Order: sequence, then structure tokens, then C-alpha cells
Amino acid sequence: MRSQTVGWLFLAPTLLILFVFGVWPFVYVTVISFFHWNSFAADPTMRFAGLDNYRELMFDKGFLMALWNTLKFGVFAVVSQVILGYLLAQLFMKNFPFKGFFRTVHTLPLMIAPVAVGATWRLMTVPGLGPIPYYLDKWFGYEFLISRYVGQAFMTTVIMDIWHWTPLVTLTLLAALSSMPKEPFEQAQIDGANRVQTFWYVTLPMLKPAILSAVFIRLMDAMRTVDEVWMLTGGGPGSATRYIGLYIWRVVFPKTDYGYGSAMSLITLYLTIVMCWLLYAGLVARRDLKRPE
Amino acid sequence: MSGLKRMMLGAIAAGLMAGVAPAKADFWSDAGKDLAGVTIRGVSESTPPSNYVKDVLAPAFTKATGINVEFEATSWDQMYDKAIKDMEANTGIYDFVYIEQDAVYGYLGRDFLVDLTKFIAENPKLKAPDYDPANFTTFANYFKGKDGDLFGVPMEAFIKVYLYRKDLFSDPEVLAAFKAKYNRDLAPAKTHAEYTEIADFFTQWGKDKGIELWGSTVQANTGHPSSWYEYVESVAPTFGVYNWGIDASNNYAATVEHGGKMNSPEAKAALQFWLDLLKNAPPESTASTWDEVAATFGAGRAAQGLVYGENAAWIATDETKSKVVGKVGVALPPVEAGVMEAAEAGTGYIGYYDGGAFGIPHSSKNKAAAALFLQYIAQPSVQADWAVAGSRITLQGTYDDPKVVAQDAKTDGYYTLMRDQGKLFAGAPPYPFHNQLRETVAPIFYQAITGELSASDALDQMATASEAELTKLGYRK
Repeated sequence: MRSQTVGWLFLAPTLLILFVFGVWPFVYVTVISFFHWNSFAADPTMRFAGLDNYRELMFDKGFLMALWNTLKFGVFAVVSQVILGYLLAQLFMKNFPFKGFFRTVHTLPLMIAPVAVGATWRLMTVPGLGPIPYYLDKWFGYEFLISRYVGQAFMTTVIMDIWHWTPLVTLTLLAALSSMPKEPFEQAQIDGANRVQTFWYVTLPMLKPAILSAVFIRLMDAMRTVDEVWMLTGGGPGSATRYIGLYIWRVVFPKTDYGYGSAMSLITLYLTIVMCWLLYAGLVARRDLKRPE
Repeated sequence: MSGLKRMMLGAIAAGLMAGVAPAKADFWSDAGKDLAGVTIRGVSESTPPSNYVKDVLAPAFTKATGINVEFEATSWDQMYDKAIKDMEANTGIYDFVYIEQDAVYGYLGRDFLVDLTKFIAENPKLKAPDYDPANFTTFANYFKGKDGDLFGVPMEAFIKVYLYRKDLFSDPEVLAAFKAKYNRDLAPAKTHAEYTEIADFFTQWGKDKGIELWGSTVQANTGHPSSWYEYVESVAPTFGVYNWGIDASNNYAATVEHGGKMNSPEAKAALQFWLDLLKNAPPESTASTWDEVAATFGAGRAAQGLVYGENAAWIATDETKSKVVGKVGVALPPVEAGVMEAAEAGTGYIGYYDGGAFGIPHSSKNKAAAALFLQYIAQPSVQADWAVAGSRITLQGTYDDPKVVAQDAKTDGYYTLMRDQGKLFAGAPPYPFHNQLRETVAPIFYQAITGELSASDALDQMATASEAELTKLGYRK
């Protein structure tokens, strides 16, 4: 009995923090999402809206467009990061001159705040000042103008995200590769497996948990990306880079539409959870289900 | 000098010192005595006038009163975000906030601000001898409540003017080439057709000469509301579309169908004119807010443009920042037929009279110290240097100060233009839903800039979306 009390006492600070910063805001947002509440409306008080906000979401072209943009952004960025991250991790498994130096430099982007990353990329891409449009024009005659061309803006945000977060994937996979036992590889070699077969049947299955962790983390990050893109494009041009986080921010803060913004946040959270669950179910659970056979 | 004369001069000097200078110094040090050591915090948009407050006036106030001032000059978006969050949550972080002219209606509607007239009347000890609201220009009227009380002390006021490169407009080679091409003399545009012609001409001139020169600035950022503001505040009115094309007296109608003008033929012509300028604008235009437009003109990359007046002084006079010192001409914006007459008759306007004030939120924990600070910056004695640095004027008497008169000559008469023709310009319409409507229509507007939507389709969608949003907000029944 006494040990239980002590246990709860030790847990209390954690539970308190979890409640104040996790549970309570979630409940608050959930409640608000069922109200019309805009502090600059003719009637600035909270008025019960039932499911109105959720119904409106289903027909909100801006929201659906932002969601689609985010999904595209997430898929492009995360797939590229995993592929590049794996290749870099394999590279760092080998010995070459100045390996330590390159490994350190490679991880530097991780230490930079997203706002600073966005600002740096903005400086590099702003017409009339940035080196990227200057040299693309000088060397290839290519007009690079992310404030006007939607495709260029979208791809630049993807490349910026890849540049910023690939090192995280590399380090995750490097740790996984470093801790792999040698025996399965030796066995594969004895069995005559070529490099592709070794990768497909030995390396990949053993890397799967690490890859999944990296994908989950990066996918969730991509779904809530705001600061980098805000600094680089402000969500433009047009709606090209107005990702869901940015859209929610605009609805909640400048537009002060708290009820609608809360509904949007909850739906986004729900979709993120569903996506991760589907990914997990598709890649892990199915295999686990097969295992007893 | 005889002993008697010396005594008389000494007496006069002592009298002057005792009668004038110490009286002012005494007030600020006396008033600050009980508040010395207090720190007041303010937030403002980073503009030349605000930066002058931060760098010059705030330290001078601290020296005079012992009250510390923490002045945060940040981006326009952040300034709003921080101020509104603070006032809504009643946290009391800020003791004074910047109130842009277009935001005051929302702030008054939400009862965010202290009634300064009443506050100073109720605290006579805080009334500075030099502070007299009657000194303000009529711009102060924007910050008055229904009963005429002042809720903000104006700190900047300027017009968005038509700047042009005087050196180019008087270059004999340019004049001859222009005359040969268009069969008329080159002069600052009075109409939109002339403006477009001049823009075409200088863009081609820049190409032919191999120099980085374009025909016009365009504040066309594709992800920032400054582009939408340039259209509704500075371009649409010159086509006779006022108050964003919304008729507040007619149930806030925006569509032509319901009596509004947001998607009227005049509005569509205005937007098309503005979008067409993009081909004559430097490549950075689609990434330009109000700051970058001024930088573009100051860098000598555009022959003409509509530029916020707060930048006129540094563009025309500051050699450390501007490449066009001594080459800047100032004029009224080009208009469609009948618009100038309407403005002169007081039934319309030709551009934006912008500015802002500092107000004290109800949530402030240091209202007395903040009230002293606001009066300090409203003193006539600090206005001239501030006007020279930030091309802003909020007191009538400032126009006649020798320093301002001298600066006026260097800026091609910008200050005179503001005094004499300021009446042709107007502030933003008195809507309490600026941000809400802007956030609804601006994304559609950006698509017109990128070419995803035509001017006509964009305005049709914007007008419909505006009415829907105003209905949702409860203003349109």
C-alpha cells in the first residue's frame, strides 16, 4: 500500500504536466470545435454550433486544397528523405578520408531552427539577391521565381525539408545499420545471394523498425509543418504551399475563427493518426498476423 | 563688457532658463518621480517612424523621466498577432500598442483601448504642459471614439504617393526617345493609360541599355496580404472603387448583383491594369511587400511606382540606403476620368492615407507611465527631427518647421503634397472585420497574380466569398 502511494507521488508531476499541457488543451479544443466563436464577429460570444464547423470543413475548398498539398508534400519529402538517408547511412558505414568531418557537417542542418532554415532559403531564392535564381539564369537561362511559379515553389519547400531533415533519417538508419549482427549477412553470402537480394531479404527486413520510426516521425512533422514554409513562401504563390498547419494558423490567428480552426485541428490530428495506423497496419501488423503460419 | 551689462545679461539668461527650460524638464522628472524604474513595453511595426521612436525618443524619455521603455519593432504580421493576443487574453505584457489606422475600428469594437482623453483628464498630474490634442492634424480623427475622445496618439501619418525617377524623366535622350515613340512629352502619368505607356517604355529602355531598370514597382507578393492591400487601397480607388467595393450602407453588399462593386467592371479594369504591370515590374515584385517595394525603388530598379510615403524621406535623401538620392520626383497617383473630381468634391478618394497611433490597452499594468510616454512623443519639440527621419507628420505645426521645409525641398515637395493634397486620400474603411475579410479573399487574390485565375473570375469569387464571410460574421443579414 505504502509503495503504491510512493509510486503515485513519483508519477504525480508527470501526470500533472500531461494533464495541463496535453489532456486539458485537447479537451478545450474539442469543446470549442462545437461552437461558433470569432472575437471580431458582430456577436463575439461563443454560440453552440453542433456539427456545423465539421460540416463546413467537408466543403471548404481551401481546407481540402491545403490537405492535398500537405499530403503531396509529406509523400515527396519523406520518401526522398528515407532513400537519401539510407544511401548516406550506407556511405557513413564505409571508411573514407575525413569521414568524421563530413558526418558532422552533414548533421549541422538538424541544429538549425526551422525559422532560420526558412529565412536562409528565402535569402537564397529571392529574385535579385539570391544565388539560386541568379546562377540558374546565368548558367542555364532558367527563370527561377518561386513567388510566381507554383511548381517551383512547391518543389523548393520539399527540397528545403529534405535538406533540413534527411540527417535525422541518416542517423536513425546509421544506428540501426551499426547494430545489425554480421551473421545473417555472412549466411546470405554463403547462400550465394547477390547485393540486391541481400538488401531485399536481409537488410531491409532488419531495418524496417528503424525506417518505420523515421517515417512516422517525419510524416507527423510534415503534417504540421508551418515555420519553414511560412518564412520561405508565406503559403504562396496562390495556394501552392499553403499546407494544413499554415492554413489552420491563418484561420485561428489572423482570422480569429477559433471554433472553425479547432475543428480543423482535430480533423487533421485524426487524419494523421489514421495515416500512421494504416502505414503500421500495412507494413507491420500484416506481417505479424502472418507469422503464426 | 561692463559689469552692469554682464549682470543684466546674466539675469536675462537666468530668467530664460528658469522660465522655459527647467519648466519642461521639471515636468518630466517630476511626473516620472513616482514611476522611476518602471519599465513599459510596447510593440509596433518596424517602420522608419517606429524605429525612430525606438532609437531616439524612447531613450530620451527614459533620460527625462527615469521610466524604462522596451520597444519591440517587429514585422506587421507579428505586431498584430502579439498585440491582439495580449489584449484578448488580458495578459498585460504590453503597455502601449501600435494601432494601424485600419485596425482601430476592430480595437474600439472590442473595447481593447483606454480612453486617453478621459484618462488624462482624470489624472491631471500626468498632463504634460506641451501636450495638446488640438495640435494634431485631422488624421487624429481616425482614432477618436463616438464621443470624440482620443484612444490613440498618432505617431505616423503619410500618403501612398506616386514616386518617379526625376533624372530619367528629364534626361534629354529619354525625352527624345519617348516623344519619338509615343508622340507626346514624357511627364508623370495622370491616367492609367499614360502610366502603362511609361512603364512599357522604361522596361524596354532598360533592356536596350542593358541596365537593371523596369517600368514600375508592383507590390504583388503572392503569399502576403500587402498585395491585396495595394489593390484595394491604392489601385481600385483610382478607378472609382472605394471601400474595397463593399457597400456598408446596403447590407454590406460586395457583389454587383446585390449592389456592391467588388466585382464591378471598374474593379475588373483596375485589377487587370495592375496585373498587366507585372510584365513591366522587376522579378522580385511577386515577393515584394511594402518594404521591398521601397527597397526596389531605392535601389534604382524601377522608373516609377506607388510607394508608402514613410519611405519617401530615406529614398530621396539617405545615401547609405538609397541609390536614387536627389533623383526622386513626387506626384499624385494616376486616375481614371472623374475620380479626381470626385475626390475633390469629397465623394471619393485617390489613394491611401496611412498611419497609426499608439494606444494603451486596458490590460496594461503601467497605464500612468505609458500615458506619459505617449504625451512625450506628441510634444511639438520632438516632431521635426522625427518628420525628417520618417516622412511622417501628425501635428499641424510640424509642416512649417525649418528642418521639415528643408527636407521638403530634398523630397521634391512630398510634405507639401501631403499637407495640400492629403485631403484627396483616405484611410481604410471603418470596418471592424479587416483581418477576417482579408484572410477570406486574399488567397483568391493571390491566384489572380499567379495567373491561376483571371482578374474577372478572381473578383467574382472574392465578392461571393466576401458576402458569405460577412454573413457568417453576422454583419450581413
